[in-house]
Amino acid sequence: MLLVPCPNCGPRNASDLRYVGEAGPRPDPNTATEAEWRSYLYIEDNPAGLLRETWYCRAGCRRYFVAERDTTSNEFVNSPLPGNKIGGKA
Amino acid sequence: MPISIPKENASVADQASLTFESPVLTKPKGGSDSGPTLEDLSGLTKTVIRAEPNAMDPPFGQALAVGDMLLCGQRPGEWLAVGEASDCAAFVDGLDRSGHVSVIDHTHSRAMFRLSGSAAPKVLEKICSLDWSDAMTPTGAVVSASVAKVTCDIARVDSDDGAPAYLIACDRSFGQYLFDAIADAGTEFDLRAL
Repeated sequence: MLLVPCPNCGPRNASDLRYVGEAGPRPDPNTATEAEWRSYLYIEDNPAGLLRETWYCRAGCRRYFVAERDTTSNEFVNSPLPGNKIGGKA
Repeated sequence: MPISIPKENASVADQASLTFESPVLTKPKGGSDSGPTLEDLSGLTKTVIRAEPNAMDPPFGQALAVGDMLLCGQRPGEWLAVGEASDCAAFVDGLDRSGHVSVIDHTHSRAMFRLSGSAAPKVLEKICSLDWSDAMTPTGAVVSASVAKVTCDIARVDSDDGAPAYLIACDRSFGQYLFDAIADAGTEFDLRAL
């Protein structure tokens, strides 16, 4: 079982949350090229190590937040941060 | 194209006079007086209030008795008022509306059950992954979680005799299923459906 640290609800089973994706800056829609949009939407870095990712606490507080996870050990490090926007990839 | 609103939905005041019908149509038999009880309280008025997170007490994760009504901080900036219709209406009328506030009546869209008795935490532990010990969820605690795979809002409000009791609310369409699932989980504890 993967325990995900929700900043509002505390540690929760990952089945209570939805994995949104890797957290990163959203391109400016006014200036982004098609390649940049495609990269933002579909291309993941998928590093072996620390990764900032967005989660949605769908069964709990229903808020987005950003957590940092070590993909080699599945351990969450540092404190989760509130999401910076509603929905979306980051 | 103009939007057509059916006459029966044109006035909220008209809907207030609708007869409430519980989603729980059948209740399992059996159980004993010594076991936990499961009661259908879907007929209580359930009003959801959304405002700024610190707009009023109680804070997220806690319940507060306001007169005969219960006010639950079920999400940051979202409260559930449970009680008789007159109490909820009076509370809503008294809300500070200087900020951005929305009020929605969920009475007909949410089912609500009360699971009580000393074995009630053990029943919940079978179908919900949260820690239901007194230390983690004392009386007055409000949480949201999956119960038998149904997303629920749960408030622990112990009985007058001190026995643990939980108000469990879910979408109306899951009402019969969740009632049966909780009753099934409580079979080994001699749960009695009221």
